[in-house]
Amino acid sequence: MASVLIPVSLLLGALLLVPQALGEFTAYQLGLYLIYGIAAQGIGFLWGKTGILPLGQALFFGVAAYATGMALRDGGGLVLHLGLAAVVLAAIALAAFGLAALIFRGRADSGPYFSLITLALVMIAEQVAGTTTSLTGGFNGFSGYDSLAGLDPFGGFYYVIVAATAAVTLLLLTLNRLPANLIARAVLDNEPRLQLLGYPTHAIKGLAFTVSALLAALAGGLFASHQGIVTPDATGFALSAQLVILTAVGGRFHVLGPLVGAVAIGWASDSLRDSFPYWELLLACLFILVVLKAPGGLAELVERGWRRIIPARPAVLPPATEAPAPRAPQDPGALAFEDVRLQIGVVRILNGVTFETPAAGIVSVIGPNGAGKTSALNTITGTLRTTGGAIRLGTQRIDNRPPHKALASGIGRKLQVPSVFFSMSVAENLTIAMMAGRARWSDVLCRSPFGWRSGGLTRVLEHAAVPLAAELSRPAGTLPQGHRQFLEFAMTAAAEPPVLLLDEPCAGLSPEETALMTDLVRAYQAATGALVIMIEHDMSIVEAISDRVLVLHQGQVLAFDSYAAVSADPAVQAVYAGGTK
Amino acid sequence: MSAHLEIEALTGGYHDTNVLFDVSARVDRGEVLGIFGRNGVGKTTLARLVQGGLRLAGGAVRLKGREVSSLAPWDRRALGLGYMPQTEMVFDDLTVRENLMLGENARAPEEYFDLFPRLAERQGQLAGSMSGGERKILAFVRTMIEDSDVLILDEPSEGVQPENIERMAQCLRARAEAGAAVVLSEQNIGFLTSIADHLLGLDAGRVVLRETAGRVSAEEVRALLTV
Amino acid sequence: MSTVLLLNLLWQIGTLALVTLGLAIVFGKLRIMNMAHGEFVMLGAYAPVITAGFGLPGWLQLPVCLITVALVAFVLERAIIRHLYGRMFDSLLATWGISILLREAAELVFGRGYQSVSPPIPGTLHLLGTDYPAYRVAAMALIALGFAALAWWNARSKVATRIRAMTGNPALAQAIGINTGRLSAASFVFGCTTAGLAGLLLAPTVRIEPMMGLDYLVRSFFALVTGGLGSLEGLGIGATLIAGTQSVLGALVNQTSGYLAVLTLSILFLWLKPDGIRPYSR
Repeated sequence: MASVLIPVSLLLGALLLVPQALGEFTAYQLGLYLIYGIAAQGIGFLWGKTGILPLGQALFFGVAAYATGMALRDGGGLVLHLGLAAVVLAAIALAAFGLAALIFRGRADSGPYFSLITLALVMIAEQVAGTTTSLTGGFNGFSGYDSLAGLDPFGGFYYVIVAATAAVTLLLLTLNRLPANLIARAVLDNEPRLQLLGYPTHAIKGLAFTVSALLAALAGGLFASHQGIVTPDATGFALSAQLVILTAVGGRFHVLGPLVGAVAIGWASDSLRDSFPYWELLLACLFILVVLKAPGGLAELVERGWRRIIPARPAVLPPATEAPAPRAPQDPGALAFEDVRLQIGVVRILNGVTFETPAAGIVSVIGPNGAGKTSALNTITGTLRTTGGAIRLGTQRIDNRPPHKALASGIGRKLQVPSVFFSMSVAENLTIAMMAGRARWSDVLCRSPFGWRSGGLTRVLEHAAVPLAAELSRPAGTLPQGHRQFLEFAMTAAAEPPVLLLDEPCAGLSPEETALMTDLVRAYQAATGALVIMIEHDMSIVEAISDRVLVLHQGQVLAFDSYAAVSADPAVQAVYAGGTK
Repeated sequence: MSAHLEIEALTGGYHDTNVLFDVSARVDRGEVLGIFGRNGVGKTTLARLVQGGLRLAGGAVRLKGREVSSLAPWDRRALGLGYMPQTEMVFDDLTVRENLMLGENARAPEEYFDLFPRLAERQGQLAGSMSGGERKILAFVRTMIEDSDVLILDEPSEGVQPENIERMAQCLRARAEAGAAVVLSEQNIGFLTSIADHLLGLDAGRVVLRETAGRVSAEEVRALLTV
Repeated sequence: MSTVLLLNLLWQIGTLALVTLGLAIVFGKLRIMNMAHGEFVMLGAYAPVITAGFGLPGWLQLPVCLITVALVAFVLERAIIRHLYGRMFDSLLATWGISILLREAAELVFGRGYQSVSPPIPGTLHLLGTDYPAYRVAAMALIALGFAALAWWNARSKVATRIRAMTGNPALAQAIGINTGRLSAASFVFGCTTAGLAGLLLAPTVRIEPMMGLDYLVRSFFALVTGGLGSLEGLGIGATLIAGTQSVLGALVNQTSGYLAVLTLSILFLWLKPDGIRPYSR
């Protein structure tokens, strides 16, 4: 907690000294920069972690500002005002969450399209604010109200702003230490992988957007009291763009970055704007430079310098504890395909696939290129939508659902090209995997999941030949291909899914690594009694571990039997010779 | 007569870290050089340094006697170098036909449709919607029909079913006999030894084995592929 | 509907299509979210102001426009844009910085006030039973001809395919022989130059001032998003949809309603059909 309390105390201390040290007018100016800084911190949180760039934050800022002005003008005491504030914030939170979750549902990108939607929304808001004169006072602005509790913007109100700044900074620094931070970053790093681990990414993005909206709204409310007047500018695109620039230049990956940006640019702007006609030009060039060369902004440059003097200490992890049991049903039953069809354009990828697996054991899926093997797995997890037929797991119908629901039914999936969280360390990858299918929303907000361990994961990591134990702090993106395969297998197995889908787990592995992976798969099935469905090309592996072999050809089932029967089947021999590496 | 492809003391890597050190080799007309080694030893780095996608930290690359170390990949292509990458080997947003016809070709793709009939059937299909193995075959045929006489292929058989690997070997042998120089890096030792004339083994970015095929034992090869 | 309103509608659609063409190339093909697109329109619109300021004859407006815009686009591409291919969000931010730069530069050079220039073809033409400015008729004819020529060329040329290949997989494009540096620079410069040309054509009909570009930027983006990013038909559909909605509602109700309708329509498309109505020319 020291890493949180020390910066917040220092910040608080420094800000509280300003009116004494630099005068009340400076405090008034600083107050405005801090207000913009709070809104920018919200943008930094959303953009820095999930990669979503909001271009319309002034929407929440301005709406809150107008609402605050209206509430303050209508009179009533402090308690009433704070109550109204809570209502307005709740409404904004609901609207923001609904907007983001709706738009991101069914998609796996932090797309620029969402940014353009926020841009269009703020333009609507600006237009409405300017033309509904009866409500907002139009372009003349909304005024004629006292600030909150009658505090003087040049006096007592400054301390309200300082308190808000400190509280927001405390909140964001605390969040950084929680599993929620990892999950938000994982959304940007590899959203499909996060979905297959059972996380509803559209809801996660919705929550992150809501946090940023609430911070913008808080800033807007303070703004109304501070300025004494609210004009349509407060809900316009120019302000939204300016807030993004403050965040980018200050640094979106650090909690204090946007505050630094807001204060630095605000102060420089006020000092230089009248004396230096090229100030705006210079700021634009600085902004472009930051985008091209220093995406982490000033805060990152400062941190790099700081780290050369004081290297980072490794984080203290909570003690190892047994992870809670996975929530997925342990014995879901057999997997059945009933006349499943998948057509994309004119190409019939799956052309009436029907089979039923045993409830446990290892089933290998083989077939020529383009037979539909990976596509079949994709229909099981909902990554691809079928155009006909049904897929059942036990008695439950599982086709055509969003991918994040697969794990809840007990299905884990390892992808054809090893897919992990590349920017995070191996240990962080495993933490996210450890929470998959086990953590509740409340667990995400406390530190204990960092210490969770399960029997299954420990088994894999302690296996003598698995290389991961020595590489826990390495970023997953720097691992060689083979190690990435093992990491992804460990992550998929960590949730102990009773149905495990493996797509070419030995691709790109040397013969020794291949033998190791085969051992791990066999051990997993033996320890958990799971149903493992594995796509493979190497017939020696297929022969060694399969209980049954499914042969696909041109989107249909050609044979489904033991290895001996399948390899003796003349129809199979005709289309698929098989071979060894 | 100068070799079709000559690499001398090649050193290079990513950002500031070198992963390949002092690799030299020459491949003459009609020869197939097979490169093998574990994951991460530098096979793909070597291919990209020769092809021009990565900048050299040291050494030189010569194509048919001409120094090309500072030339961009498109200039090396124009001089006759063809390249099949290990990953992202097709244009996902283009159809199979567009993928095949985009470059400068010396022969028609129809010449290969007998061997790979699935490709002919899928000509109007977007390359990105094909399976992994089919994409490899598309990239392979594209490389075969280019007007190149020095070919670099990086793990072309990965994810491809065995009988298509057989056909790939046939095609490469035929091209070599027609005068091309072929460099093939692979993990599939059977495929490699079936067509390579010379073998180059890499470990930790350096050459550790250099032999004519047939004179190196299976144990030596396997030893270099141990985890 | 009266003939004047119909001709005005055609004028709005035609000019929006021309303004959007540059963004269709830069954003649709190169995937650069060029937030400075409107500023290139603005630069082109200032060309007549430049020639008048130097006392040059009117026919020099076209070469001055082309050279100025192409030069600025080329310098920006080599200095900034070429680092942004494949980085869509960064391109949005960096080009926003460029747009501020260009606006400030224009303000410093030309001042903040409005300028106006007179049309090179004065007077009206009697068309379909009504009098309509001759200049607008000539400009519309030119725009129609230009698009016909472009469609004809596009159907025959491999360049569009090469650009798509380059944007999707630049390393492979280079490996098969495409000079990606030259192709992307040429495409960007061409796109921005058409924007400048649009500005030149529009100059006699609008108020020329440094902030004029923002409106064109917004409407171009929304025309592309609704009509479709990758095809000429999409461009036409989008321009018709956006300009049409704004004009019709602007005439029937008021300007604000037209503006709000366009914004709402765009949000719906961005949410439900972000690739637009006709994303591919297939």
